[in-house]
Formats: sequence, C-alpha cells, structure tokens
Amino acid sequence: MVERALTGDPEAFGEIVQRWERRIFALAFGMLGREEDARDATQETFLAAFRNLRGFRGEAKVSSWLHRIAVNQCITRQRRARVRSEAALEDEAEKNAAVFALPADISPARTAEYTERSLAVRRAVSGLPLDLRQVVVMKEFEELTFQEISEVLDVPLSTVKSRLYTALRQLQMRLQKFGE
Amino acid sequence: MREINERPICHRSEDLVTYLYGEATAAEAEDFSAHIEQCDACRAEHAIFTQVHDSIVAWRNEALGTIVVREAQGAEPISLPITEPATFAYSPRKLSALAALREFFTVSPLWLRGATAVGALLLCALLLFAVSRSWRRPINVAKEANEPKYSQQQLDQEVEKQVKERMTALTKENPLPVKAPPKLQQPKSIQVRSQVAINQVRSGSQRTRGLNRQEREQLAADLGLIPGRDEELPFVLPDQPNQ
Repeated sequence: MVERALTGDPEAFGEIVQRWERRIFALAFGMLGREEDARDATQETFLAAFRNLRGFRGEAKVSSWLHRIAVNQCITRQRRARVRSEAALEDEAEKNAAVFALPADISPARTAEYTERSLAVRRAVSGLPLDLRQVVVMKEFEELTFQEISEVLDVPLSTVKSRLYTALRQLQMRLQKFGE
Repeated sequence: MREINERPICHRSEDLVTYLYGEATAAEAEDFSAHIEQCDACRAEHAIFTQVHDSIVAWRNEALGTIVVREAQGAEPISLPITEPATFAYSPRKLSALAALREFFTVSPLWLRGATAVGALLLCALLLFAVSRSWRRPINVAKEANEPKYSQQQLDQEVEKQVKERMTALTKENPLPVKAPPKLQQPKSIQVRSQVAINQVRSGSQRTRGLNRQEREQLAADLGLIPGRDEELPFVLPDQPNQ
C-alpha cells in the first residue's frame, strides 16, 4: 500500500487511512483524553505521514511507523496545550468528553457517577509518565499484543510487560485516592 | 480497591500481566493458575489489576462508544475481543481566520512556510516602494484625462518658453516705435473748472452746504474719476459729505 502511495496512487493512501484511523484515534484518545483533541491528533498524524511518505523505510511496519508519528503528535499537542494554559476550559471539556457516549435513559445520579469515575480514570492515565502511558494506551485502547507493542516502541518484550505492571500499580494507587 | 502498596511483590509479575491480558499459552496459563492459588501477592494483585483494567475499559467504552464483552469469569484470563472498526466522522470545525492560518502553517511543509514568508516580505517591500514613490511624485496640473501631465516645474518652464516665443513673434510682426509717453494735457475749460472745484473743496470746511449730486458728478468727471458724463457712475457718492 505504501509503495502504491509512493508511486502516486491517490487511493492507496486513503486505504492506509481507512485501515489505521481507528487505532490511531484510540491511541490519541488514550494519550490525550479528549475526543476533539484525539480527532485533531489523528488528522495531523495522517497528514504528517503523507508528508513523510518518502521517509518511510520498508523494513519497519506501517503500524509502527504510524504509531510513532501519532505518539509524537500527541506529545506535541500536549505541550502546546500546556503553553496555551487551557486548563480552565479543560475541566468542562473533560466532563463533556466523559459523558457523551452514555445511554440516554441513564439516571442523572448514575450519569454523575459515571462522569466522576471516567474523569478519575482519565486523570489517572494522563498522570502516568509517558513511557508507562504509551504502554497502557496501546494495550487498553488499541488492544495490541505485547509483541506488537514491543515492535512499535522498539523495546524488549519483558520491558513492555514490566512497564504495564508498573503502570497498573500506579493507576491503582491513583484510583484508590479517588475512592477515598 | 484494596491496598497493595505494602504487600510483597512476587517475582512473577510479568507472568501475572501476561496471564491477566490472556496472552499466556495454555501451558503458561495452567502453570500460573496453580501459582496464583498459592501466592497471596499475585492473587491480590490479579484481583486489583482486574478492577483497574475494568475501569479503563469502562472509560474507553463510554468515550469511544464501543462494547467490549468480558468473556472470562473468575480466575479465567481476561479476554479482549477485537471490536468492530468504528467510523469516525471528521466534522468540519469552524475556525477563526487566525486559527485557520495557524493550522495552515502547522500542517504545511517547511518549504511552503518559507515560500510564504518570503512572498509576504516581498509584498511588503513592494508596497513600501510604491508608497514612497507616490509620496515623492509632484501634483499633476492636467485636468483632462487626455491632456499630457506635467509637473509644476515643467509647466512653468513650458509657459515661460511659450511666452518668449510669442513675444518674439509679435516683436517681429509689429515692431513698435520707441517714443516718449504722451503728456497728458487737459482742455483749458476743464482746468478752470477743476481749479474752481478744488477751491470749492478747500473752502468746503467753512461752508454749511455740501455739493449736490450734479456738482459731485461734474467734479468727478473733471478729476477723471469717471470716463464721461454719459456713462454710468461706478459708485454713488453719499449725499452728505463726511464731517
């Protein structure tokens, strides 16, 4: 597909986007925690991939290549958001992001509970160090295997597992504070 | 959730994670199942990590709108079936002009950003040049569109040149004889009447009656203030002289 895209086939890159957009969106959502940011990051990821199509080396997997671009885009966006000091608007957006997919017939009390819980999980994941967060997101949001994560991040399999273990322990501690 | 911070950590933490996410082979899963029955730390962590995992999955499902069915029960490893690809509709956002410009520069390649910057600089330089040129340019005196436009200096020179040419031509056509300016001589009657009038004016301060209209007209004609009697007076003198 990438070779076809390189030869100027306009539909080839469209196929790449169609095939990988869900996973990239899931990754971006897990990393950023907001639907709108995740959409933007996904879009920017594919734009960056299109621009750097010639920089793609055949020995790497397309998934690994796209994941690296996506992670970089997410980090860049987070940095920008910090600079813009959007924290004041973020709380409202967080709540909206957490409840937008809830069923319509759910009670207000239950909605509030879901919202609070989702917010806590989102904050807990966002608060993880980048290397741990990447592994959690790839495992929980993209449902990649340990082997796939290892290839994408270019780290040993045991490192992936130990990072996930550490991440789960840290998440448990953060969520425990929420439950208190 | 239970506290695990102070619990001992088992050296099989990686196996625990592999087992938790259902990536252990059948032999590995059987082996770890046997281990977890005996290891309190692993058993506790397995239960707690399952809760953490469920929380994340709940958040993900709420946010992404996908449904993940947990098939495993109890000690069985967690199974995460691949969900159907969701379609993401990229709704076009309304951006302000500044935001759109910023986004354009964000997604543009480096060469395009450079070219835009150079183009903007050239445009600014061109505008400055045009403004400075129009600032220095003198005002055009031509009124009609088809008239040639001259600067004020050019116009003065042209007028001077035309006047000189015209004067030269006129001098050649009608050479004027050089003569002394004619001496103005008034008729004797006028001289006498003027003298009378002057005398009357000089003695006017002692007189009680001023000149009437006829006398004033006569005096004005004699003094050459009006062309003649038959012509209209250019002005009307007051009936009463100034005191």
